[in-house]
Amino acid sequence: MATIEYRNVKKVFGDDTVALEDFSLKVEDGEFVVIVGPSGCGKSTALRMLAGLESVTGGEVLIDDEVVNDLTPQERDIAMVFQNYALYPHKTVRANMDFPLRMMGIEKEEREKRIAKTADILDITDYLDRKPKQLSGGQRQRAAMGRALVRDPKVSLLDEPLSNLDAKLRVEIRAEMADLQEKIGLTTVYVTHDQVEAMTLGHRVAVLSQGRLQQCAPPQEIYDHPANLFVATFIGSPRMNVFKATLGRENDGYTLSFGDHILPFQSGRPGDDTDQLEELIDKPVLAGFRPEAFCPADEVDESRRIQGKVENAEALGHELIVYFDAGVEIHLPPEVQAREKDESRRGKQERALVARLPSARPPKSGDDITLGLNTDQVYLFDPDGRAL
Amino acid sequence: MKSFLKHLVVALAAFLYAGPILFMVVGSFKPDADVLAEAGSIQALLPSEVTIQNYVDVFERVNFGRFFLNSLFITGSIVIWGLFVNSLAGYAFARLQWKGRDALFLLVVLLMILPYEAIAVPLFYQVSLLGWRDTYIAQILPFVANAFSIYLFYTFFLGLPRELEDASRVDGAGTLRTFFEIVVPNSKPVFATVTIVTFLFFWGFFLWPQIVTSGERVRPLPVAIATFHTLPPLKWGDILAFGVMMVAPVLIVFLVLQRWFVRGIASTGSKG
Amino acid sequence: MTQPPSQRHRFRRRFNRPAFAGPVMAVPGVLGLLLFIAIPFLTAVALSFTNLRMGSPLPTEFVGLQQYQRIFADEGFRRALINTVLFAAVMVPVQTVLALSLALLLNQELKGKAFFRTVFFMPVVFPMALVAVIWELIYAPGPNGILNSFLDLVSFGTLGPVDVLHDPALALPGIMLLSLWQGVGFQMVVLLAGLQSIPGVLYEAAAVDRAGKIQQFLHITLPQLRNALIFTALVTTILAFRVYAQVEITTRGGPVDATTTVMYETVRTVFDRQQVGQASAMTVVFFFMVLAVTLIQRALVKQEREIA
Repeated sequence: MATIEYRNVKKVFGDDTVALEDFSLKVEDGEFVVIVGPSGCGKSTALRMLAGLESVTGGEVLIDDEVVNDLTPQERDIAMVFQNYALYPHKTVRANMDFPLRMMGIEKEEREKRIAKTADILDITDYLDRKPKQLSGGQRQRAAMGRALVRDPKVSLLDEPLSNLDAKLRVEIRAEMADLQEKIGLTTVYVTHDQVEAMTLGHRVAVLSQGRLQQCAPPQEIYDHPANLFVATFIGSPRMNVFKATLGRENDGYTLSFGDHILPFQSGRPGDDTDQLEELIDKPVLAGFRPEAFCPADEVDESRRIQGKVENAEALGHELIVYFDAGVEIHLPPEVQAREKDESRRGKQERALVARLPSARPPKSGDDITLGLNTDQVYLFDPDGRAL
Repeated sequence: MKSFLKHLVVALAAFLYAGPILFMVVGSFKPDADVLAEAGSIQALLPSEVTIQNYVDVFERVNFGRFFLNSLFITGSIVIWGLFVNSLAGYAFARLQWKGRDALFLLVVLLMILPYEAIAVPLFYQVSLLGWRDTYIAQILPFVANAFSIYLFYTFFLGLPRELEDASRVDGAGTLRTFFEIVVPNSKPVFATVTIVTFLFFWGFFLWPQIVTSGERVRPLPVAIATFHTLPPLKWGDILAFGVMMVAPVLIVFLVLQRWFVRGIASTGSKG
Repeated sequence: MTQPPSQRHRFRRRFNRPAFAGPVMAVPGVLGLLLFIAIPFLTAVALSFTNLRMGSPLPTEFVGLQQYQRIFADEGFRRALINTVLFAAVMVPVQTVLALSLALLLNQELKGKAFFRTVFFMPVVFPMALVAVIWELIYAPGPNGILNSFLDLVSFGTLGPVDVLHDPALALPGIMLLSLWQGVGFQMVVLLAGLQSIPGVLYEAAAVDRAGKIQQFLHITLPQLRNALIFTALVTTILAFRVYAQVEITTRGGPVDATTTVMYETVRTVFDRQQVGQASAMTVVFFFMVLAVTLIQRALVKQEREIA
């Protein structure tokens, strides 16, 4: 059991490629922390520095309050599961698991006992004597976990361990992993680009972008109180709708105007500071609404409705996702925009708002649509993306 | 019809190509007098009389066993030590970060274009000064480190997935352990290629042993057959028998491991 | 990590840092190259400016470019240079075309393909010294010799018996032929691998575009094989420059210097005449020939990469 700490860690590749900047994070004993972010954000680098596979350019990495910057991987007592599993192809699963134990100088009898026990926990006893090539994707994944767990390490690190599995298997093993960590209580750092994995597995989630830590908090808090525009738009699927807006006052409440729309809103969200709202009046802000802030028109009074043209609708059975154009320019941070392009979401142009609605008959594209908007669920950001 | 023609052309070419080999093998089993006499007729390949007298003669006239073992010892030493030394260097260049690495690697690449012939003279002078003429060591030591082998290992190791070595280091293995227990078992193709290329080259190496050896004690096969074929009385049957015994082991290994030979040679082409 | 580090433990900890392990692992190889390749070569350059003779009682002196002047004035060495360049100039195109033809032939639907490939490749495992000896017998003079009987057969008796190795006009071609026999398999295998790595879609696309076999060869096969061809040409050139064993065994440079080569002259100079200084100058000339060919090859490959 151990704690992990990054103190103002910096990593520079070559002469000037900054992969990580001023990164600080503390992982408590037995905690499961997920580092999530788009590709190239520095999350794998952070993990590899912890493992000792990359040198530390600046700052300190600590395991159990001991600075480990200059220790080689084998001096750190950590286990790691790699994206492609990195099982030794010329060794059987048993020999793969035996390898770290042998390196620790453990007696043969004890090694066999530990392999048997770990194999039993992971349910891989039946193919201990096979080579990695003879295993399915899921079995390989388990074998890789086995090799990491068998040595009973201080810390276990996982680098995108599920990304090579098909969707169904991923969900299955994800659940098993959560159970397993709960049972063993191992300090774990898990790196992924998949926000669903992050939200379901982590005690806390650290969101990383462009080499900087954006926020680290329990999943619900990340979702409810994103620290900035990046976190707000990166976490959540479909992603948050963000656009330029202006705050105004009307009678004893406030209004939010964007595009051609002016909607009333009260400072309804808990923790909102009314004094701060006063200061924002007539200043440009960014307003964000999660897709579930929309609802069928008849659930709200007329002043909180919004009209648009349907671009695309996806009926998912239990819910209905509608993309529609309400003449509002969507504003996204560049990293998130890049991801949207990667995933090539067609029909979800810059002007499309996304709404998540109860299951209903899907509208056709081109149809006019009127939806309600719970303006009280607004997230406000200053033009630089900081949460207000 | 076209296909038949194609087969005919290939078969004819193959026959012409295999001719000298068949001629050597068949000739070595003929009475010595028949070798030249029957060379011009079909009997060159279909002997009227079969004998192993030529083989007996070779052993009676020269110390063939000695030459064979010399060749085996010299070539084997170069290959085995070479695999060791050059793979370690290739790995250090491909995967480890250290001061001066890039400058030294440039040197290796530059030395690749220097054939042994270009250094034979000064090396001969050096070896003479050291008093190493007519020794095994003069035939082995200078050829263990090989720039081309280092380069072949280097390119192969660069292409290996890095994760395996990362995993091994995290599992607690040091640099050498990682190399010998994880990297080497996953690099069989390059070890096979280097073994084959090096072995073939030094099994047939002629110029250097010819100038550096004088007695029979450390003389390898290529020099031995050159000497033997000028040794009176001139008996072609014996010379062919010598040749068969000289090439047979390599030929058998080649036929058994043909796939590796062909792949190994072809891969040197894509690396050059 | 808690027990006191023993001497051995400390060494292991240090060794496991790449900055330390790297040089240690590279040392045997690099040291070997320095001691037995780099330093001898530099020695050769230095010695080429002296009159060093092994076993000579005269003191060694710096003689400037005298050795170079002397070798270029020497009839034998000039002949050797011409022969060597001629050897390469003939061998490279002939061997490449032959190897390419065989590779193309074996790259088709063919029964017993593996067998034929084996046959063509087999001479590659033969030591050159043995090849030279076998071919000396094949070239045996008199009407009974294999080559002469063969010539007689294919020419219906019009081509008389020849004595290849003792005829000044035929000796060098004779050595070329035996070198060709031994070397062609190597190139064939490299080119065959190159052919097999050409994506089949290219040919399908060309067939759709109604390109004929010849056009396919000119516009797909040759460009795709370019680097493999440059490589085999380079290897053949350098092998041609290095020709020694064949000459030493079959003709000893004769008749009348008809087959002498740069390497053969160099060895004779140092071995028979103990003229280390002069032989070193020949070595340096030899090196520059190899260097020139290598630079041309690099330039051709680089040019290709820039176009692509």
